[in-house]
Amino acid sequence: MSHGISRRTLLGAALSGGIITPLLAGCGALVPASSGPNALTVHTQISGAVAGAQVFSDVVAAYQRATARRVALLKNGSDLPIVFETSTLAGKEADVAIVNMMGRTLSWTRLGATVPVNDYLDDWGLRDVIIPEALAEWTDDEGRLRAFPFTRTNWPVSFNTGLLEEAGVGAIPTTSDELIAAADALRSQGIGPVTVGGSDWSGQKMFLQILQGFITQDEARTVFSTGKISESPGAIAGVEHFVELRDAGVFVDNVQGYTSDSELTQFNTRKAAIVPAMSSALALVPNERAAEVTVGGWPKPSGGGVLEHPSVIRSFNGHGIWISENGLKKLDLIKPFVQNLYTPEVTDEFILGSGRDMSRITDTVSRDFPLVAQGSRLTDDDVTPVMLPDLLIPDAVFEPMIQATALAYGSAPADRIIDAFEKSYQAV
Amino acid sequence: MAQRTALPLRDRIGSITSGTLAWIYAALLVIPFYYFIVSSFKTNEEIFESPLAWPTTFDLSNFTTAIQQADLGLAVANSALTTVAALVLTLLLALPASFALARARGRAGKIVESVFALGFLIPSFAALFPTFLLAAALGLFHTRTFVVFLLPATALPLSIVILTSFMRTIPRELEEAASMDGASSLQVLRQVYLPICVPGIATVLLLNFLSFWNAYLYPLILIGPDTAQRTIQVALPTLKVDAGTDYGVLMAGTLFTLLPVYLVYTVLQRQMQRALLSGAVKG
Repeated sequence: MSHGISRRTLLGAALSGGIITPLLAGCGALVPASSGPNALTVHTQISGAVAGAQVFSDVVAAYQRATARRVALLKNGSDLPIVFETSTLAGKEADVAIVNMMGRTLSWTRLGATVPVNDYLDDWGLRDVIIPEALAEWTDDEGRLRAFPFTRTNWPVSFNTGLLEEAGVGAIPTTSDELIAAADALRSQGIGPVTVGGSDWSGQKMFLQILQGFITQDEARTVFSTGKISESPGAIAGVEHFVELRDAGVFVDNVQGYTSDSELTQFNTRKAAIVPAMSSALALVPNERAAEVTVGGWPKPSGGGVLEHPSVIRSFNGHGIWISENGLKKLDLIKPFVQNLYTPEVTDEFILGSGRDMSRITDTVSRDFPLVAQGSRLTDDDVTPVMLPDLLIPDAVFEPMIQATALAYGSAPADRIIDAFEKSYQAV
Repeated sequence: MAQRTALPLRDRIGSITSGTLAWIYAALLVIPFYYFIVSSFKTNEEIFESPLAWPTTFDLSNFTTAIQQADLGLAVANSALTTVAALVLTLLLALPASFALARARGRAGKIVESVFALGFLIPSFAALFPTFLLAAALGLFHTRTFVVFLLPATALPLSIVILTSFMRTIPRELEEAASMDGASSLQVLRQVYLPICVPGIATVLLLNFLSFWNAYLYPLILIGPDTAQRTIQVALPTLKVDAGTDYGVLMAGTLFTLLPVYLVYTVLQRQMQRALLSGAVKG
């Protein structure tokens, strides 16, 4: 008996070697792009399937061709912050990071992982081209501009008017009573009403948006930074209003188990008629679906509340352009690169080519991404902006709070939701 | 006659039960795999409207989109490079070590074998930070080289346990005969042990291939995000977005990364089965 290597095994090994060896040997692309001494390394979250990833790659490629400068793109998704931080510990972080301001990244400037960019804002001529509110949002309590605000986001509510009409609802609901009536009508036709990611951050945003229907922006700052709902009559009313909507069947069945991803999928596949979604997600809604969608705000409370119109979360907290400690040594390379990203041409490419909302001042409105355009056109006469509370919620509270809001999408009464919400702040 | 060959009732019930369970188990494996394959040719709407339906077209656009968006071509090459190099290194270290342990008769051999077995007790996550510090200190952070050295270190305990057990089943007479013919230890290993150990080696190769190919956390941190270096498991998640993931593209990308796994499994599975069977018989 012989257990010698069979011919097939040998053939397989030879074939594999024959294919892999020349592939690897001849592939110059496998040489690290970031290894050159004159290369600018840019660690970006605008990559992969994210809206605007292809535009960004094209813009960088065009910049390299035009300037003969080398830019190495390092790409990550949601795992970018942890990769950047470990790289920083080893002193090998990228010169520039393009990432949003949430959770871990909120402490980068304070801890010295990245440098404030206040000085460069004027020196590089960017102050006048960036929306002032964006600069304010990206500035911390000590006046440090964390990064150059690059993309921003609207968080409107999308209504599938085709489905609403099928259910006999003639206009999009603008008050909570109208919303409850619309939900009843939709349910009677077997159509899901509002879909949202009850188990993740998208459900958390919706919950906090509904709360803001009963508290002023100043009160909201206090409540979101301390977690003390029970000390704010308005916030308590907000939670009770949420429970009222939930118990009236406004949300789709089993919403507690959905994620931000599944909410959009439900909406795109006509399983649900209403979805709150940020503008970058709206850019991914297929044209066929977008044709029957009207964008508006979350219906304001019918009784009481502080809102004049339906609410929309508006934030300049999209991606920012951060400069690392390593980047300080390459400011001569970073300056033209960043200036190029804020040219009108590049801004237009992002808006027209990917439907991104940008923090640069511009009149350009998306054409091929109609829902993003609709969201951009909403004025204060149509909707009342409310805050994105991410900057106020301590990093350690994020995950426990999402568990509390997931509980809220179940069947918990208001007092239990408030208790769970406040307990989530005990992690601080 | 017929009565004599008929199985007793208890055996028949056992046979039917085990057959039914085997079919259920097969279905449990096949249905998700079928769903996975057909979804890679569908749009999101088709996936959610009719999950198990046959695709209306076998258009490869999901695959090309996935490969392009996540630079999967480069990532596969990097994973292949890292995995093959780590496998070669694992065998180079594990084979002589197992050979020595299998032949050892004294207490020292047992102690060394126990030391290798201690490797099982180290949780991989706990070793991440020290490993990161080591990579930084050696100047090998953000290189594939460090991971090529690291992966065999993580694989050696299991590899040595398997190969040592396998080599212990080889009759010592074979080695003694070779020695009498003037063969050196290296020749005994190469010409006597290795040919007999091929099923065991195939088992080690297959298990480690799966482990190396699917490694995520260490390559993410230690190799980093440079598209010229990152492995397939680091590249693939970039196809997932917070809201609005194209699941057809994600499935296609995942299927693309599984092809090498399938090829390797096809080549090595028979040897592995042989190793398992021989272990069963000899055990």
